[in-house]
Amino acid sequence: MGFFAPWFLAGLAAVGLPIWVHLLKRHKTDPKLFPSLMFFEQREQSSVRHRRLEYLLLFALRMAMIVLLALLFASPFIRRSASAVDGKRITVVAVDRSFSMRAGNRLAQAKDEALKVLGNLKPGDQAQVIALAGNVQALTQVVNDPAQLRAAVVAIQPSDSRASFGELARYLRTLADAQKMPLDVHLASDLQKSAMPPGFADLRVNPGTTLYFHPVGDPAPNWAVENVAAPRRVYDPKRVRMQATVAGYGTPAAKRTVTLALNGKTLQTKTVDVPANGRGQVEFLGLDAPYGFSRGEISIDSGDALAGDDHYFFSVERADPRKVLFVDDGRRPRAELYFRAALESSGDSGFQMETQRPESAAAATLSTYAFVVLSDLGNVPQALDSALQNYVRNGGSVFVALGPASAVLPRVPLLDEAIQASNYAGREGDRFLTVTDVDAGHPALRAVDRFSGVKFYQTVRVNPTKSRVLAKMNDQTPLVMERNIGEGKVLAFASTFDNVSNDLPLHASWVPFVAQAALYLGGGGAEQPVNLPVDSYVELRAADASNKNNRAAVEVLDPDGKRVFSLEEAVKATNFALDREGFFEIKTASGRRSLVAAHADRRESDLAQIPKETLDLWKGTGLIDAQGASGAAPGEESAAEKPWPLWPYLLLLLLGIAVAEAVVADRYLRPPVQERESVKREAA
Amino acid sequence: MQQRFLDPTVLAGIAGLDLVAQTVVDGFIAGLHRSPDFGFSQEFAEYRAYNPGDDLRHVDWNVFARTEKAFLKRYRGETNCQLTILLDCSRSMRYTSHRIDKLEYARFLTASLCYLARLQRDAAGLVVFDDEVKNFVPPSTRQGQLARLLHAVEKAEVGTRTDYAKPFAHLREFLHRRGLIACISDFWEPPESVINTIAPLRFHGNEVVLFHVLDPEEIRPKLKQPVLLEDLESGETIEVSPDYASREYPAKIDAHLQELRSKAQGSGLDYFLIDTSRPLDAALREYLAVRRGRM
Repeated sequence: MGFFAPWFLAGLAAVGLPIWVHLLKRHKTDPKLFPSLMFFEQREQSSVRHRRLEYLLLFALRMAMIVLLALLFASPFIRRSASAVDGKRITVVAVDRSFSMRAGNRLAQAKDEALKVLGNLKPGDQAQVIALAGNVQALTQVVNDPAQLRAAVVAIQPSDSRASFGELARYLRTLADAQKMPLDVHLASDLQKSAMPPGFADLRVNPGTTLYFHPVGDPAPNWAVENVAAPRRVYDPKRVRMQATVAGYGTPAAKRTVTLALNGKTLQTKTVDVPANGRGQVEFLGLDAPYGFSRGEISIDSGDALAGDDHYFFSVERADPRKVLFVDDGRRPRAELYFRAALESSGDSGFQMETQRPESAAAATLSTYAFVVLSDLGNVPQALDSALQNYVRNGGSVFVALGPASAVLPRVPLLDEAIQASNYAGREGDRFLTVTDVDAGHPALRAVDRFSGVKFYQTVRVNPTKSRVLAKMNDQTPLVMERNIGEGKVLAFASTFDNVSNDLPLHASWVPFVAQAALYLGGGGAEQPVNLPVDSYVELRAADASNKNNRAAVEVLDPDGKRVFSLEEAVKATNFALDREGFFEIKTASGRRSLVAAHADRRESDLAQIPKETLDLWKGTGLIDAQGASGAAPGEESAAEKPWPLWPYLLLLLLGIAVAEAVVADRYLRPPVQERESVKREAA
Repeated sequence: MQQRFLDPTVLAGIAGLDLVAQTVVDGFIAGLHRSPDFGFSQEFAEYRAYNPGDDLRHVDWNVFARTEKAFLKRYRGETNCQLTILLDCSRSMRYTSHRIDKLEYARFLTASLCYLARLQRDAAGLVVFDDEVKNFVPPSTRQGQLARLLHAVEKAEVGTRTDYAKPFAHLREFLHRRGLIACISDFWEPPESVINTIAPLRFHGNEVVLFHVLDPEEIRPKLKQPVLLEDLESGETIEVSPDYASREYPAKIDAHLQELRSKAQGSGLDYFLIDTSRPLDAALREYLAVRRGRM
């Protein structure tokens, strides 16, 4: 017997309370003075003795109530053998159908093992079949129908997901808690080491759960295309560079032929030397992709057992360079010059800059631009402002530069933050501001080298309340701010793009700053990556419920070209899980189309198995508590015990005693019958 | 008439026993219309024809003027009556169930009797006793006797337990003249013992009146729950149930009172039960009405 909260036993000290009260009441029965007792007789003590009996009973009941209350809070339990519940156990047959089970005939072996286990079940034994992949899938309920269990095992198909034994352990804990019966778990798997969770504690199973491992397949050398670095969009086919990494797991050094294919057509073939148990890289230059989305694949000729990881899908889109609208009122010609130079000198950025005055920009079709730059416009015309607002809400991006013209504005355009003042610093005597805090992890500021050496002579002081500050000056005023509005985003720079308010355009960090910001902004707002591992989620709809596009239907076509969602689901679905390898055509609620390439998680390519010692430790987690309580020797799996809470019984007992106390106390305090009658007479 | 009856609790609020006695006695005297027939002595008996040698001072000259014959007025007593009050100050007299305890009530009664005697120029004396004589004021008609008596009554404090034998034996040594003896007590003794002790006073020609002062709770105790009772004099304790107090005790106390009354009357003693919740003047009035019937 034990207690879940033994410190509540300190409440037993409260037992002293009724003792004190009752003793006090005894002392308080002061005798009443009377002139003479010559007409009273000693035998009348019997009535008082009767009262004392009741008194002691009441006292005992109250003591019992306090003791029970303290015990109730301490939550006592007894250890009962889990199998002692009704002597039955549930057999759980878990079949691994992860990507690695595609190697050779591993899945078939696992299914055979599972069927053997089911064949050993006795009539009436309860069992459940589950499949292990990215998550645990219960293929049957806990049933005792052998035919149903067998059919479930036979129907198991391989998947492209990654196995997770942590998920399996979590499921087993939940099942044991729900069924309140001990489990016999038979796991038919290749027991991949890479399927282990980061912490061993995540493998813990409940006491009474016995694990039986049925390993299938042997560790085998395996080559895989581990990674492909391909551009998302291609603007100039001749300037495209692609890198592919070929990894070997438990393999000797070897040469592998790497093939680049696009839309099923082989474009290039190269050979790479892969060292023993190592990695080799190969680079492809140029990608002659047609306009639109293309389905790319890099494959190797490995000839190993796991052929599924010998190819790697990627998606690429051929497009014309996207236009960037630079809105300038002409007062800062050098800002346009510097920005254009930086944009065009940043490799295959795919941007083409146009400059317009604010008045004409209002009439332009903003949705055709990758992003819009407002170069210290000051007052933004009403028409342009509302056009920009719509543009951003629908996924567009705006880069706002603030300078002397903006300092007179009450609020930053689009960003809607209050402008407090303009910070001025002289050019003499080091009277300038520098950047001290930079969020170097942000995509727009990843390569700016913390703006080192850049001097800011004038900045606009903004009070950010809704925006995220990405960089700060040494006087703690924000320099770069970002705010997501609708599906788009606004980036604000609290200085100008020329070399008047600062000397940033003259420093090395200028070009990467503009290039990274352009890539970040021109990426399409909430646009997501297109090359993802299986089991990743693709967002189909923004969480912003006020967006009018939120009710638009989404569309997902699986690698077979079939629609994934019904019409009803299409207007409600917010995301979608990539459940297998291949190309998914996706149209989000905002109307953006993309081709997403899903590839199996390459951790599945490592076929190394879990060491036996680790498996024994895992198996032991179901026996630790039972052994600790019963002193059973290790290995006596049937001795598993579990705590059995006693609070429901104590609560019932407490209720019964409370009722008895009320009855006894009522009898004790009730006036004699004669007195009640006299009271009635007086009342009458 | 009712408004003349003085509640004992009202009397308790009056400072000074003389004022209490005056309030009580004057009140009921006014109610009696100054009847000539009340009193302890000096009662008119008859006329007798004058014989030579008789004292001329006793000749009724008014009769002589009307009839020209000399008659002498004769009285029943040759001298004033002597009143001796025996006041019980035992510890049981301290009991009360309301504002006035028995001793306080007995004090008022004693003071009233003393005041009444003074009005009639009778000699009044006082014996305060418990198990022995605590104080003794010899009967006298001297100037200031009332003050002495009231002072003695005022000083009377509860003592120990009651023992009639010792003080009454002592009393017999002092009472040489016949008179009226008023014994004020709660008489918590067996009736036979009480009467056997007090009756010898009657043998000397004294007239003895027993004033039995009891609290209403002593006659009809009201208990709501079982209680532990402690004897005021002996300190003995006993546990009593309400059922017993309401059923058996009243029968026993009634039998006790009846036995005391019958034994007192059988021994030629006047017996008068006074409930301390009753107005004092009403009690005195009732008593004197009884006395008038006898005298």
